[in-house]
Amino acid sequence: MVADLPTGFWSGWVIVLTCVSLATLVWIVLSVYFAPPDSKSTHGEIDHDPVWDTDLREGTSAPPLWWFWMLLGALVFSLGYLMLYPGLGSFEGLLNWSQGKRLVSSYENYEESFDARRAEIAATSLSELQGNTALMETADRIFRRECSACHGADGRGQAALFPNLLDVDWQWGGSPEQIEQTLRGGRNASMPAWEASLGEEKTRDVANYLLNFSDRGHAGRTVYEQNCAACHGVDGTGNVFLGAPNLADNTWLYGGDIDSILATLRQGRAGKMPAFDEQRLDAAQLKLIIAKLAR
Amino acid sequence: MSALSLHKKIEENTGLLIFGILLVSAIGGLVQILPVLNQKSLEEPTVNTKPYSAIELTGRDIYMREGCSVCHSQQIRPLIAEVERYGPYSRAGEFVYDRPFMWGSKRTGPDLHRIGGKYTDDWHRIHLIDPRTVVPESIMPGYPWLAERAASETGNIVAKMTALRKLGHPYTDAQIAAAESDLEGLMEIDALTAYLQILGTGLDEEIAR
Repeated sequence: MVADLPTGFWSGWVIVLTCVSLATLVWIVLSVYFAPPDSKSTHGEIDHDPVWDTDLREGTSAPPLWWFWMLLGALVFSLGYLMLYPGLGSFEGLLNWSQGKRLVSSYENYEESFDARRAEIAATSLSELQGNTALMETADRIFRRECSACHGADGRGQAALFPNLLDVDWQWGGSPEQIEQTLRGGRNASMPAWEASLGEEKTRDVANYLLNFSDRGHAGRTVYEQNCAACHGVDGTGNVFLGAPNLADNTWLYGGDIDSILATLRQGRAGKMPAFDEQRLDAAQLKLIIAKLAR
Repeated sequence: MSALSLHKKIEENTGLLIFGILLVSAIGGLVQILPVLNQKSLEEPTVNTKPYSAIELTGRDIYMREGCSVCHSQQIRPLIAEVERYGPYSRAGEFVYDRPFMWGSKRTGPDLHRIGGKYTDDWHRIHLIDPRTVVPESIMPGYPWLAERAASETGNIVAKMTALRKLGHPYTDAQIAAAESDLEGLMEIDALTAYLQILGTGLDEEIAR
């Protein structure tokens, strides 16, 4: 991670201009305070100084001495700074400091201070994690930070769009392995729009059949078995490998009333779960979240 | 010659005084700005940074129009607290197609530079219309009109892309010709969502670690 320092001609340009400016400042300060006395009194004050309003004269005595010490201090500081830190063209400074390196070293400290905790979490079984109140509070915090914007602060889902994570229904499976896969890889569910191919009447039939799933003689049953069963199963229990939800229970992500079901059938649904890579959730955080969610 | 006699000379000669003032006030710019304007490494787009598509560009204009940058920054500083919260810190090369950049200077809401891909399109749609539907404690105002206005009415997309091409954004003729049809049927909220989803995705995966 090399900082974007100027190179070649422009590096020299910066160095020369900076040094010339500093040298000029030193010369001005020194000559104001330590100029030979003759040029001050004879030349300056007597011969040439204008006098306004009979007695108002422009004096040439040097500013207070504490200004001198302040200016000298500032000059010494800036020289020291330019030697230690990047500033003079492509010269990186004796400390070899950069923002990027500072970040790397703070990450090293960070990793070091959390390594033991992470190793401990990695070595603990899920059921033990679930029994550990302090760690489950950590899991709650991670959940609120990373998951609550969609699934709600309590994890019960919201907006008829983001599933409840605290119930027993898991569209993509609720085993620790399946939850990990969902988190790391993300999920893309794809429910096609059916009205175009089924037509208005059959769409209504299926929607009604879904509300009366136990009615084996229902008009929508054949339509269901021909079109929907491939993903949702003949018995309607769904398929966690396709993310096809269980239609035989009372959990309806997009709403379980006839209008919502019709809307789903007409326009289709494309549920999406974003992926959480290592950078968003490290292995220990991931395990804590899984411990919180898995039953 | 001492600085005092030089001072006298300058004070008595207006032309010299003007020149001196200009010279001194230019030094900061000559040292800090001029070399940066000539630094190619700052103009090199990062690996996945592409010029904004017609839809994203429209979304960006809506982002500007609604003043999102008043409350949201788009610059992640190289500090561990920011990198942990938002993701890899911002690189100069990610902003080469931002004219003007939307870095912002105040965070009333969170930084948005790495918001792309964090939430789904559906989430953004709901959240933009009424943020409290999904984040009950949010103080962000809702922007319901974005869902009611056509994206194609936000300025002249062809003129915008043509102007940006003159400034060096590598748009092809085909892209500009297709711009209007790209926006067809889209609402402003779709364009803004597309822009938000592309934000911060221009970084090489190697660097992102």
